[in-house]
Amino acid sequence: MLVLAAVLFGLGVLGFLLRRNVIVVLASVELLLNAANLSFLAGARMHSTPDNLNLLGPVFAVFVILVAAAEAAIGLAIVIALYRLKQTVHLDQLAELKG
Amino acid sequence: MAEFLFYTMSIAAVLFGIGVIAAKQPLMSVLSLLGSFVCLGVIYLLAQFQFMAAAQILVYAGAIMVLFLFVVMLLDLANPELLKEVPLKILGPGKVAVAVAVAGGLALTSILSTRGTPAVGSEPSVPVQSGAFDPVDEIAAVIFTRYILAFEAAGLLLVATMVGVMVLAKRQRDPIERGG
Repeated sequence: MLVLAAVLFGLGVLGFLLRRNVIVVLASVELLLNAANLSFLAGARMHSTPDNLNLLGPVFAVFVILVAAAEAAIGLAIVIALYRLKQTVHLDQLAELKG
Repeated sequence: MAEFLFYTMSIAAVLFGIGVIAAKQPLMSVLSLLGSFVCLGVIYLLAQFQFMAAAQILVYAGAIMVLFLFVVMLLDLANPELLKEVPLKILGPGKVAVAVAVAGGLALTSILSTRGTPAVGSEPSVPVQSGAFDPVDEIAAVIFTRYILAFEAAGLLLVATMVGVMVLAKRQRDPIERGG
């Protein structure tokens, strides 16, 4: 499970760094958070015994899901606002903050 | 059987992940992401995280995917102008090297740290009472007592997100007043 999480995390990093389309970049971030979740659960499973469950992993995964939902909502709202302003979703054309 | 399903789903999840970052159209990318979410949900189920599997399917494959699809549809991304991508060469080998190094390092660490531990399909330790590694009642008990502060902070985060999204996405009536 951890290996799968690492591979998915690597894919997410690749997509985050290499793609220039904002929506694909946000999708890559979701992939990253999913990989993190998977490793939390894998860790909880590894450290559980039949009469002493590790609950920290699932609890943390719940919070990660929550933060992922909030992040997706905010990110996509920013994408919509930017698109309305600049008519593009291409990251190289959105360099407003560079001054 | 469970082991076979686990490996099938893992490979499918990775293939869908490749689809996410390799697809030309954002719509295909988002649909690959959906496939990856569902595969991970099945893996959670196989690993006896029933509650997490349900949450994964409901929140990720349901709510977040609807958000993504809405935005893709809303932005008219069939427009070929928007689909132009910079070829990998221009981005420089530096970023590719960084990403590959991160992925390789993580994979190596996890392989080294999990050597000798049982695989998912082989049923190492089934919890006695509920048959799940994430019994909902125990998780709820922990969240509402020990992690109550984090729970409240999460609620606050969601409220702030809701207000922020409404502020960001509302149309500005007066172009001079740049409130958003």
